[in-house]
Amino acid sequence: MSGLYLHIPFCKQACSYCDFYFVTSQQYKQPFVDELIKEIRSRKDTRFAAEKVRTIYFGGGTPSLLSAGQVHQILEAISETFPLELEEVTFEMNPDDVTVDYLNDLKKTGINRASMGVQSTDPDLLNFMHRAHTSEEALQCLELLHLSKFEVFTVDLIYGNPGQTITSLERDLDIILGYNPQHVSAYSLTIEPRTRLGKQVELGRIVPPEDDTIATHYDVVEKTLRAAGILQYEVSNFARPGDEAIHNSNYWEHANYLGFGPGAHSFWWETSGRAGKRWSNEKKLRSYLNGSWNSPYAEELLELPALAEERLMLGLRTRKGISEDTLQEKYEVSFSPAQTEYLHRMEQQGKVITGNRIQLTTKGLKIADTILLDLLTI
Amino acid sequence: MNNIRNFCIIAHIDHGKSTLADRLLQITGSISEREMQEQILDDMDLERERGITIKSHAIRMDYKRPNGEEYVYNLIDTPGHVDFAYEVSRALKACEGAILVVDAAQGIEAQTISNLYQAIDQDLEIIPVLNKIDLPGADPEGVGQQIVDLIGCDHEDILSVSGKTGEGVEALLETIVERVPGPKREDDKPLRALIFDSIFNTYRGSVAYVRVMEGVLRKGDAFRFMANGEEYNAEEIGYLKMNKEPTKELRAGEVGYVIGSVKSLQDVRVGDTITKVDNPAEEAIPGYKEAKPMVFSGIFPTQAEDFEDLRGALEKLQLNDASLSYEPETSKALGFGFRAGFLGLLHMEIVQERLDREFDIDIITTVPNVQYEVQLEGDERIGVDNPSQMPEVGDIDTIFEPYIKASIITPADYIGPVMKLCQDRRGVYVNQLFMQNNRVEITYELPMAEVVFDFYDRLKSGTRGYASLDYEFIEYRKGDLVRLDILLNGDQVDALSSITHRDKAYYLGRKVCAKLKELIPQQQFEVAVQAAIGSRIIARDTVRAIRKDVTAKCYGGDISRKRKLLEKQKAGKKRMKQVGTVEIPQEAFLAVLSMDDEDRN
Ligand SMILES: Nc1nc2c(ncn2[C@@H]2O[C@H](COP(=O)(O)OP(=O)(O)OP(=O)(O)O)[C@@H](O)[C@H]2O)c(=O)[nH]1
Ligand code: SF4
Ligand SMILES: [Mg+2]
Repeated sequence: MSGLYLHIPFCKQACSYCDFYFVTSQQYKQPFVDELIKEIRSRKDTRFAAEKVRTIYFGGGTPSLLSAGQVHQILEAISETFPLELEEVTFEMNPDDVTVDYLNDLKKTGINRASMGVQSTDPDLLNFMHRAHTSEEALQCLELLHLSKFEVFTVDLIYGNPGQTITSLERDLDIILGYNPQHVSAYSLTIEPRTRLGKQVELGRIVPPEDDTIATHYDVVEKTLRAAGILQYEVSNFARPGDEAIHNSNYWEHANYLGFGPGAHSFWWETSGRAGKRWSNEKKLRSYLNGSWNSPYAEELLELPALAEERLMLGLRTRKGISEDTLQEKYEVSFSPAQTEYLHRMEQQGKVITGNRIQLTTKGLKIADTILLDLLTI
Repeated sequence: MNNIRNFCIIAHIDHGKSTLADRLLQITGSISEREMQEQILDDMDLERERGITIKSHAIRMDYKRPNGEEYVYNLIDTPGHVDFAYEVSRALKACEGAILVVDAAQGIEAQTISNLYQAIDQDLEIIPVLNKIDLPGADPEGVGQQIVDLIGCDHEDILSVSGKTGEGVEALLETIVERVPGPKREDDKPLRALIFDSIFNTYRGSVAYVRVMEGVLRKGDAFRFMANGEEYNAEEIGYLKMNKEPTKELRAGEVGYVIGSVKSLQDVRVGDTITKVDNPAEEAIPGYKEAKPMVFSGIFPTQAEDFEDLRGALEKLQLNDASLSYEPETSKALGFGFRAGFLGLLHMEIVQERLDREFDIDIITTVPNVQYEVQLEGDERIGVDNPSQMPEVGDIDTIFEPYIKASIITPADYIGPVMKLCQDRRGVYVNQLFMQNNRVEITYELPMAEVVFDFYDRLKSGTRGYASLDYEFIEYRKGDLVRLDILLNGDQVDALSSITHRDKAYYLGRKVCAKLKELIPQQQFEVAVQAAIGSRIIARDTVRAIRKDVTAKCYGGDISRKRKLLEKQKAGKKRMKQVGTVEIPQEAFLAVLSMDDEDRN
């Protein structure tokens, strides 16, 4: 079973925090779709087409800048190239692109999971983030989504913004919960160096909040969503039980995936193989249109020890954690006495749950990076 | 005819000694055009990189006068930096003359004077040379007057050259014949050869560079080091040409090398005298002072298992650098390592760099300090070169600290800032002397501890780079000093202790705590950082526990990046030191050093 990721590299404007790959000019949309279809078809009859595709994910950039017709073309190409056993087809969209008709048309193409980039409902914060949509548009589209009856809809939220108060965060959560989403992704604002926000922080014009404040935000998010029956299953992902994202969860379990589009990453690890491979396309629309996808831009081979470390890194981010059996059978590693001792110490502090599965608690997840690093260097 | 001339080139740092040596080598044909490169005698990697001379370099040249007479020149190029002043003193002993180079744009500087006085003490013939006359900013008249005032010579005695263009260098070569006396040629006396330098060669062992003062040393002779009586055979002797040139004998007045199956350099001591086993000299050549380390610092391997490698590396370094001293040290915080003594901070930096570069050993160094003398209750007086070994307050009667005499030459406009700096550093004013060109020499006596750190940098920045500094040890004096300890979560970290003047302890304590707070990464628990004198806590800060650090996003495209970051973090963490339960980065051990001056005063 595998997943497909499609990178749609267009945005109306650059959000201040964003370091995804995109262009703001829209003129190459159709050439891009044509090229994307070429890239998809190039996998026909290869070993990558031997596995059944279970999930498709339209990410970006802004997939909702595509017409439903273009989405249809892409999905057609996929079904002609890969054997399908689809369980989840996710489509990211921004509030300013959503209309009743658009949502209906998307549903007809086979999209069953809508992911809405709301980020905040506070006009000042939206302005600070330099989002293309207004607060009103955010509310409107939530209403439409609520009515549109996708199998699942999920809302993206950003917390830990400079100057953001707990009250403002609680209001965001309240409003979103009012529309009854099955899933919420809540990200703590990350300051990436090569973004507008990163530069302003570097220049000292914006002071990022203290990690104490961010930790409090995290707690508020987790508690509020839990009270609404939406439970944390990964650091930044929350769902009603059973509505967890399949595509994204697969990343954390080393399932195979293929990425299409500029900058898209792929990972493939044959069932019997002792090494997995990661590669990516060049992050450049122009050369993508000239067929740069024909050869990988960056590529790395990961042997079992590297895979094991990666699995720990990914697994510890999920509430499900990782089982020692899996580590032993699939990755041929087990914890050293020092590591076990460390995990028990963390358990006493309420940060870890041990047993057949090693899981971080909500408290542990908050400092998962430290715990992982400790575990790997102890 | 006495056709040998032995001389050295001395000057303030950067005044162009090595460049002038290049021209001498070139004009005498001692080196081919093909081999020629700038400052060719600076053959150590670090010398080439930093553009400074660290070690003296001796070289023999054949000089043919315009009138056809042939001469042998033995030249020693010396370093200018104050840390290596002892190199100059050794070189002087092997010579009859000294070329005193003065940068015609800079004028007389602190080491010009100190090196000149050393040469005069040795009764050397001084040839004053104005260098860099090609520079547009050169001021031959003014600087010439400074030289006349300093040496008491006539204007006509001063030569003008450019080491860069070669102008005036031929005249200099002639002047050397005329003015530098030839060495005495007392071949028939018992052998006395002065070791003025030594190097270690992996294949040949120790190579002694000698100046034969009296007698003759022949290949195959049995010889003896007069300091310890060890005897060897002169397996090979020769001249110090660009490529070493073996010969059968070295006669009185000559300079050359001796290889004597001396595998350990411990026997070859610079300053020692070589004599022959049969018909030995009665007395060694007098007056040699050993280079004494001035600053001390702990050197510890980052990984405990590198300890033996570190020992091996220090041993090897010492073979070529007798001024480096070290002994094993154990620190509660840093484990097994060494306490090493250096001539100065530059010397320390160079050793650390070589350990890292030539031996690839990752080391942690502690804040350098001077050596104290402590009068204990009762009669005993001990030397303390490690703050953590300072006895408990109750056992101490008096602490003495080394003082230096510093001479600072600066344009008169900066007298104010220079004096302020010296006062801030507990200096005692001695005098000031006005020189030509509106320059002044200011003399202070200062505690050495106040000078070794960043005094020089401060001096430079306070005088827009114009001031120069020279210093020499004078004596130990009583000081109101205390040991400042640092505690992390209540545990004293020995490697972070320092000794400071009581009046500065509070301020320093507060600043060190603040700096450590900045440097120590947040951990899963709170870390209390405290400064204490004895059992009294004088400052406190807290490194708060991590509340949240997890990366927000980790999807398909983020995984590679996150794993690479993890690799980096793992490497960084491996380089941290675990002290009790607290992890400290290496920089923390130098926290006191990384504070700026306003912080310190
Ligand atoms: N313009 C000019 N520059 C010179 C002359 N002689 C030396 N320099 C420059 O001055 C700098 C220092 O020259 P060095 O020969 O390394 O000086 P040094 O006295 O040997 O320095 P230390 O050994 O470190 O004390 C170099 O950048 C040289 O190129 C000269 O005659 N004219
Ligand atoms: S956050 Fe989304 S919409 Fe904003 S610039 Fe990034 S990809 Fe485009
Ligand atoms: Mg030099």
